[in-house]
Amino acid sequence: MNLPPPPRRSLIRLSAAVAAVALAAVALTACGSSGTASKASSGPGGTLKWAVANAPASWDPVVDGSGFSFNYTALAYDSLTHTNEKGKAVPGLAESWKYNPDGTQVTFHLRSGLKFADGSALDAAAVKAYFQRAQTQTNSALVGEGIAPIESIDTPNRLDVVFNLSQPDYQIPLVVAQRVGQITSPKKTPAQLNASPDGAGPFKAVSVVPGSHATFVRNPNYWDAKNIRIAKVELYFNVDATTVVSGLQTGVYNFTDELSPSQVKAAKAAGLDVVLHPGFNANNLSVNRAIAPFDNPTVLEAVKYAINRDQIVKQVDFGYGTVATQPFPKGYIAYDPDHSDPYPYNPAKAKELLAKAGYPNGFSVPFVVSADTPENELLQAQLKAVGIDATLKVDTNWSTSFFAKKLPLSTYGTTGRDSPIQTLQAHFGAKGALNSSGIDGGDAYQAAIAKALATPLDSPDYQKNIQAATAAGLETTGLVFTDTVPNIFAKSTSVSDLPKIPAKITWTGVTIRGS
Amino acid sequence: MLSRLVRLPSFWVAAVILLLVLLLGVFGDVLAPSNPLKGSSEVLAAPSLAHPLGTDYLGRDVLSRILAGSPVSVLGAIEVAGIALVVGSIPGLLSVYLGRAFEWLTLRIIDTLIALPFLVFAVAMTALLGNGINQAMLSVGILLAPVFYRVARAAALQVSSSPYVEAATLSGASASWVLRRHILPKVLAPLGISAAGAAGTGLVIVASLTFLGIGVQPPAPTWGGILASDLGYLDYQPYAPVFPIVLIVLTVLALNLLADVLRDASGQSGRVMLKKRALRRAAKKRRRSSAPIPQRAGELT
Repeated sequence: MNLPPPPRRSLIRLSAAVAAVALAAVALTACGSSGTASKASSGPGGTLKWAVANAPASWDPVVDGSGFSFNYTALAYDSLTHTNEKGKAVPGLAESWKYNPDGTQVTFHLRSGLKFADGSALDAAAVKAYFQRAQTQTNSALVGEGIAPIESIDTPNRLDVVFNLSQPDYQIPLVVAQRVGQITSPKKTPAQLNASPDGAGPFKAVSVVPGSHATFVRNPNYWDAKNIRIAKVELYFNVDATTVVSGLQTGVYNFTDELSPSQVKAAKAAGLDVVLHPGFNANNLSVNRAIAPFDNPTVLEAVKYAINRDQIVKQVDFGYGTVATQPFPKGYIAYDPDHSDPYPYNPAKAKELLAKAGYPNGFSVPFVVSADTPENELLQAQLKAVGIDATLKVDTNWSTSFFAKKLPLSTYGTTGRDSPIQTLQAHFGAKGALNSSGIDGGDAYQAAIAKALATPLDSPDYQKNIQAATAAGLETTGLVFTDTVPNIFAKSTSVSDLPKIPAKITWTGVTIRGS
Repeated sequence: MLSRLVRLPSFWVAAVILLLVLLLGVFGDVLAPSNPLKGSSEVLAAPSLAHPLGTDYLGRDVLSRILAGSPVSVLGAIEVAGIALVVGSIPGLLSVYLGRAFEWLTLRIIDTLIALPFLVFAVAMTALLGNGINQAMLSVGILLAPVFYRVARAAALQVSSSPYVEAATLSGASASWVLRRHILPKVLAPLGISAAGAAGTGLVIVASLTFLGIGVQPPAPTWGGILASDLGYLDYQPYAPVFPIVLIVLTVLALNLLADVLRDASGQSGRVMLKKRALRRAAKKRRRSSAPIPQRAGELT
């Protein structure tokens, strides 16, 4: 055997040298990355890449009416109070609060040194300005959200905000926990806030591209910044439901809050963490009892008997849903066990009632919805079975006519509110966002609500009074509750578990590994 | 022309597929074995004897839904081609005869239409005119009209300057007589080719629009709509999108084949091609009849 010729040997030497340099480079980068890794375990690190189906309608929490998107605005805005795992109010921007003896005045004491992302101070005047805007701004979505009893606001000093109430109302600390209490910077105009948020939240907005994405970085001025361990948040909007699992699998995203029950199987197969997060969701068939023929109570009753909830849960919810007969899941504090199933599925009785109301051959009615979902199609088929020909129409501009209370028949759902009475008012109150007919239950309902508001949360009568208000609302409502599905999140295993606070996505204490 | 067509094998393939699709288009509703809107508790079931193509997310029979969805898809495609043909070819022919002002105006309108994208325009039109299949098809038909305008105009220009047409005009023939007697027969073949192509394009657009939920309201079935809803349940029925896709692809393939054979069989080039084929076949036959002798000689050696 011959030795390789000299030129060849020099080639080997050269490649050995190259390999050595490469090795050294790898070692150096390894040192570098281990350096950042050790930093990540002590300080904040990692990027949360959050896939979102719908962007908030507005980055101004006063205008953005949609329930679940307050979890997106909560990145930038902190609220006066927070809720804990049990749904109780705990300190947020306000360190403490105190009621006067008869419950007609509540004083929130702010933390000292609070700052908005733009550097200006978050003081009592800013809080007052925010609530005045929420009550008076013409496009405010918060008018019907539990702030009606606030008659006037005093600011005796920089840290105390005094709410003077028109009636005893012990729900205020819960009402201001997220949706209603996200304090905005008074330095910004509503138009500016609409485009880009400015609050005192755990993150601050770097860029917001409408309809596409938004980028946030950790806000070092946040009062609880030491517990925010994520360095950056990227929100991706309008992510198609059919692509979200693949996106999570390939690492385009590492978190989504919008997994449909039919995709759980795919997400689990892809090795993702599927989290059933507690919440107060409930879907309903919104029958407008101000519009004929539903203004006839017998027709409304017929519709209530025509809905087969078991079929909805079985066919649409893929085993993750449960039957709903009230605007919250069973077991919730306001759930009235006496109304667990007031209108059991009975198509024969529905037909009989329709005949009695003068519609022996049924009738035809437009059924305008926001999206073509299996649930809408199923409801349409169930109504058809009793003779009601509901003509489905998918209208992308659905919200305009729905909130104007102009649709005779539609569907909607709630993701819940922190105050049970706020939830009731949203469904049954005349100004409630979900009340599709804009009529409330009259004197009996209003009296029950007033009584529940005036009951302290630690009173032995609290639950009883709230349930009485639920019963009063259900008595006359046109809303036919169908099913409730938990919030289904999917995340990459690199994202640690989220605090199990009902209906809230909270990033306090959450870490992201290896990025 | 027909006698030439029937000699092309691809004509028969296209004709058989299109006849079947047309049957579906006309009798789809009647042929559906069960009610396409009636759900059952067997959700997302695999194909079985009772449901040859399985069931969808509400337990409805997929075969019945595809059959019942055929009329909208097929008739929609025909509607598109028809609208485009009428809206495009008539001004196309007239542009040669109605003077410079009309010519200039129609040419500019057609140029504008070419610049508009189909789907976006159709989506905008349905938003404007209401979400219905006819509104969508009307807008798509108008956007396809430039094809017919150009084909009709090119053919008419060619014929109108030929000596025999000039002779007829000089002898006092009216424009409408010339159009009917001399021009129309010449432009029919190219228009037929374009119509077959347009119907194929139309079907794809109908399917795309219904996939996007435009033109048809749920729960009415359409091929595109069935495909769109299947995508939500890929993990349960990965094979489901195949059924509507095969139908769409086959129909478009047949329409394109038809356009091809129409082109091949029409005009001078078609005659030449068919003649060449006949000659080749004859030569092959002759070779076969003369071949046996050397073959046998080869076997012997």
